[in-house]
Amino acid sequence: MLSIENIEVTYHHTVQALRGLSLEVPKGRIVTLLGTNGAGKTTTLKAASNLLRLENGEVGEGRIRFKGEDTRHIAPDMLVKKGLFHVREGRRIFAEMTVEDNLIAASYALDGRPGLKADFDKVYDFFPQLRERRKQIAGYLSGGEQQMLAFGRAMIAQPEMILMDEPSLGLAPKVVEEIFETIRRLNAEDGTTMLVVEQNAGVAFSVADYGYIMESGQIVMEGDVPTLRNDPDIQSFYLGVGGEGNVRQSFRDVKHYKRRKRWLS
Amino acid sequence: MGQILQFGINGLMSGAIYALIAVGIVSVFKATKVVNFAHGYLIMFGAYFYFTFAVLLPGMSWAPAWYVSWEPAWLVEMKEGLPMFSPLGAVLDWLTNLPRVIIGLIGALAANAVVGLIIERVLMRPLMGQSVFAMIMVTVGLISVMSGGAQLIWTADANYVPSLAPNTPIRFTLFDTQIFLFGTDLVNAVIAVLLFGAIVAMVQFTKGGVAIRATAEDQSTAYSMGISVPRVFARAWVLASLTGAIAGAILATRNGVSPSLGLFGFSVLAIVLMGGLDSYVGVFIAALVVGVLEAMTQWKFGGDWAGIVPYVAVLLVILVRPHGLFGQKEVERI
Ligand SMILES: Nc1ncnc2c1ncn2[C@@H]1O[C@H](COP(=O)(O)OP(=O)(O)OP(=O)(O)O)[C@@H](O)[C@H]1O
Ligand SMILES: [Mg+2]
Repeated sequence: MLSIENIEVTYHHTVQALRGLSLEVPKGRIVTLLGTNGAGKTTTLKAASNLLRLENGEVGEGRIRFKGEDTRHIAPDMLVKKGLFHVREGRRIFAEMTVEDNLIAASYALDGRPGLKADFDKVYDFFPQLRERRKQIAGYLSGGEQQMLAFGRAMIAQPEMILMDEPSLGLAPKVVEEIFETIRRLNAEDGTTMLVVEQNAGVAFSVADYGYIMESGQIVMEGDVPTLRNDPDIQSFYLGVGGEGNVRQSFRDVKHYKRRKRWLS
Repeated sequence: MGQILQFGINGLMSGAIYALIAVGIVSVFKATKVVNFAHGYLIMFGAYFYFTFAVLLPGMSWAPAWYVSWEPAWLVEMKEGLPMFSPLGAVLDWLTNLPRVIIGLIGALAANAVVGLIIERVLMRPLMGQSVFAMIMVTVGLISVMSGGAQLIWTADANYVPSLAPNTPIRFTLFDTQIFLFGTDLVNAVIAVLLFGAIVAMVQFTKGGVAIRATAEDQSTAYSMGISVPRVFARAWVLASLTGAIAGAILATRNGVSPSLGLFGFSVLAIVLMGGLDSYVGVFIAALVVGVLEAMTQWKFGGDWAGIVPYVAVLLVILVRPHGLFGQKEVERI
């Protein structure tokens, strides 16, 4: 559904953020993209949704295709209408507008797509809290409710694929669980393809089929989720296994330590 | 005591015109984050276009008679035997001019919309996403281009253009005070307030308004939501041009047409800052306050002071509240 082939991204013609990154998200799947701060995860998503240009960023080499079509010259608003929705980092809700107006804003994604109508009730059924707060200014919602609203906007747009940037950021475990349950449901019920960027590998692996690990603008590891889950490096670095006060096996530690350092740099 | 009401009403009426000018600046700022320093010159163009379609064209040798002066038999008949300066006479005189007024307004609206679109398309759009500061500087450059351009295109200034409404004197009593107004001033103010209200209602209550507010808050997220941000930009500029055309026509009927009309934009910019760049309500209140202050200063200290005192008040407000009476804090960033 989405294929990113060997892209290079620079900001302001100087800062290189991605160096030859490739990844593939097959139709109907949930794929996760993990990496530390500054690895370039958000940049990857912005490249896919064509928001880079608005921040003076540019895809140089490489190519991005959505449903087989090269996206280079498709404006962001047209890309959503073709079915690619980006839930941005930090939720980016319209804080001065009501919850309902936030959803109406997303209904622009349906313009020019005959046969589709905004289904507000579906969003409110998924997230009953939002129905109660329909007329409230979105800026006063709690962090969890704001993430639900961000998700709700995506649902209004009825996309074939959603790019999600760190949906767990700053949320209580229970809310995170609820959000990921929604990701799973949307994928299972509507067949929506997902690319989920996360730092919390535990929750990401709980829904994803396949994962990529990135570091300084490149993919350094990829694989099926069960394989990744069992990878010792990932366990120690992303899943926090083995570091909990137990005595570590010595030589493996050294190897992990090296890797970890590389990830951290 | 009686005078204060009279001057207050005069002030409110000119304040309403300021609000109509301000609405263009606020709309462009809300959508694009660009403070349009050239808005006054867009208004000047509106005034010249109105002058062109309501005075110059009817003056051409090929202009049909009804365009120059509409005098159907019944109108001529009614006019006969009326005393000078009778209220009905003023209405009939205006009716004679009605084709010019209507064609003048339609022409000014259409031509000014084209000017606004050209500015947005040629000068603003290419800079989108790069630098708001550069865009603002472009509007500063536009001031010279537009005032120079107007002088090249329209070589003559004009003192007379037909007023939008009959200039019937209106007298009534309010709180035991005799109030005196010109019908055309009242109608101008009502047009300004209605237009202002219509725009605010559109922004607050329609789906198109949601797109504008979303773009105002977060351009790139609005874009990623399927809202065509370039189209919102273009519409904001067209809206500024349209309200500017009406404001220009009104100013032309009051002050005549000359390049100095462009200067109105600057005093209104101060009013807009006082109200808070992105707040329609704040700007409306600020416009009325300045209008009334101006009228009161005029009354108490004379015309020389009227141009200064209200703006001292504006500066004081901005000093105390840098983002205006009702503005959002974020505005400070620009
Ligand atoms: N608008 C921008 N202008 C210039 N450089 C940028 C911009 N956005 C990101 N960068 C740089 O690109 C690199 C990758 O940033 P990106 O936001 O993609 O990282 P990330 O993996 O999403 O990190 P995080 O987990 O902190 O969100 C960083 O070095 C960052 O400084
Ligand atoms: Mg990020």
